[in-house]
Amino acid sequence: MFIQLVINGINYKVDIDPNMRLIDLLRDKLGLVGTKEGCGEGECGACTVIMDGESVNSCMVMAFQADGSNITTIEGLEENGELHPIQKAYMEEGSVQCGFCIPGMIMSTKALLDKHPNPNREEIREGISGNLCRCTGYNKAINAAERAIEILKEGAKNEA
Amino acid sequence: MKKRGVGIGLSFYGTGYGNGFPDVSNAEVQLMEDGKVAIFVGATEVGQGAKTALIQIGAETLQLDYKNIIFINEDTDMMPDSGTAAATRQTYNTGNAIKIACENFNEEIKKAAQKALGLNSTAGLIVKDGVVYLAMFPDKRISYKELSKIYKDDIIKAKGTFTAQTVKMDDETGQGAPYWPYTFNACMVLVEVDTNTGRVELLKSIFAQDVGRAVNPRLVEGQMDGGFAMGLGYTLFEDLNLDKGKMRNNRFSKYLIPTSMDMIDIENIIIEDPESTAPYGAKGIGEPTTIPVGPAILNAIYDATGVRVTHLPVTPENLMKAIRESEKSEAI
Repeated sequence: MFIQLVINGINYKVDIDPNMRLIDLLRDKLGLVGTKEGCGEGECGACTVIMDGESVNSCMVMAFQADGSNITTIEGLEENGELHPIQKAYMEEGSVQCGFCIPGMIMSTKALLDKHPNPNREEIREGISGNLCRCTGYNKAINAAERAIEILKEGAKNEA
Repeated sequence: MKKRGVGIGLSFYGTGYGNGFPDVSNAEVQLMEDGKVAIFVGATEVGQGAKTALIQIGAETLQLDYKNIIFINEDTDMMPDSGTAAATRQTYNTGNAIKIACENFNEEIKKAAQKALGLNSTAGLIVKDGVVYLAMFPDKRISYKELSKIYKDDIIKAKGTFTAQTVKMDDETGQGAPYWPYTFNACMVLVEVDTNTGRVELLKSIFAQDVGRAVNPRLVEGQMDGGFAMGLGYTLFEDLNLDKGKMRNNRFSKYLIPTSMDMIDIENIIIEDPESTAPYGAKGIGEPTTIPVGPAILNAIYDATGVRVTHLPVTPENLMKAIRESEKSEAI
């Protein structure tokens, strides 16, 4: 069956199996391997992408359910060859250790900041609570979200 | 009823393989065609920051900007063996091997510069920022790039090996000095226990970790946060639930590890007391950061409730059982 969808601003018309998951479409069919598969059953959040403004576990969404949707993956964050402020902040704050959970965690942070541009630390904790990390203890990821908020505010000021 | 309690956990931990087991790290250093310096070493980066910390140790010894160092550590065809990324050993053991290899390299490149500059001796030659020069007459100088051209058929390189000192324990008495060095830490937590539900909530933690010297303080903090989270999960949540050798909790829906909402901000204190046998005094801290967390939480639960829990994890169910049992024994 064919579905049509927008991924990272690009229109796709793809032939999929009816039993294909969204993560398999992204990784195997389109080569967007920045999205990671951790548990494959919706517990760890490594495969988080943004679908029509909501963060979803792409292992729990069937590809056909994404027909007509607008999806952002970790590959879609950079603009004109520049990393997204959240990505920059993760690097600045040293938030990454093994890195496997990080694409998902950054997408959850993006989904949170898109809706609530100014969350406090507890709200950030809640926002990334669906993303399991074994290495970092999360605190530096929370520092990074706070730093990203600053960078985004500076950017908005400069534009105005 | 909600009750608060404070607990402290202390630990010391011997790093490296220990107990007389040969613990050897090797490194090789070589001048490249463009005047950059390559370090070949078998230290695996698994997110702990080996690559960063070991490049820093190399840069310090070579007196070279890290951007001019090519660090090759994950191609076993190209590099010597530096042992496993385990036993909290890479910073100390492989860091030492890299420091020795870089010191040897500095001597080799001074010899090469002596020849190229037509000097009588290497005495007074300084290596700094990719240049060898004579301290008493700095105009006598030659860059690594020039040296790499002169010596392109006789590449300037050096090796370094570090073998940690460990002594096998006496089989009969168990006495001896199985490890060197040791690293020390102290962790304090404040918890709130709900005696109606058995839920334990962390409110505050102060965590002090001896690192010898913090090669990269941010990496140290990352290890401390991560080690704390693992200790927390081990103490309150994580249970494989083995049944006749089968893991019953083999999914994240049952084997619970801490989420960002279970973690708290920790006041990390890095203690720098340089270790004399370590590269620039630096010791590893990977494993030890997990150790004092459990005892600190259990002591805090005791302080809050008067109940000593001796079985992990302290799930709400297990804690309620322990509280009821202690009430019963008090009633008798």
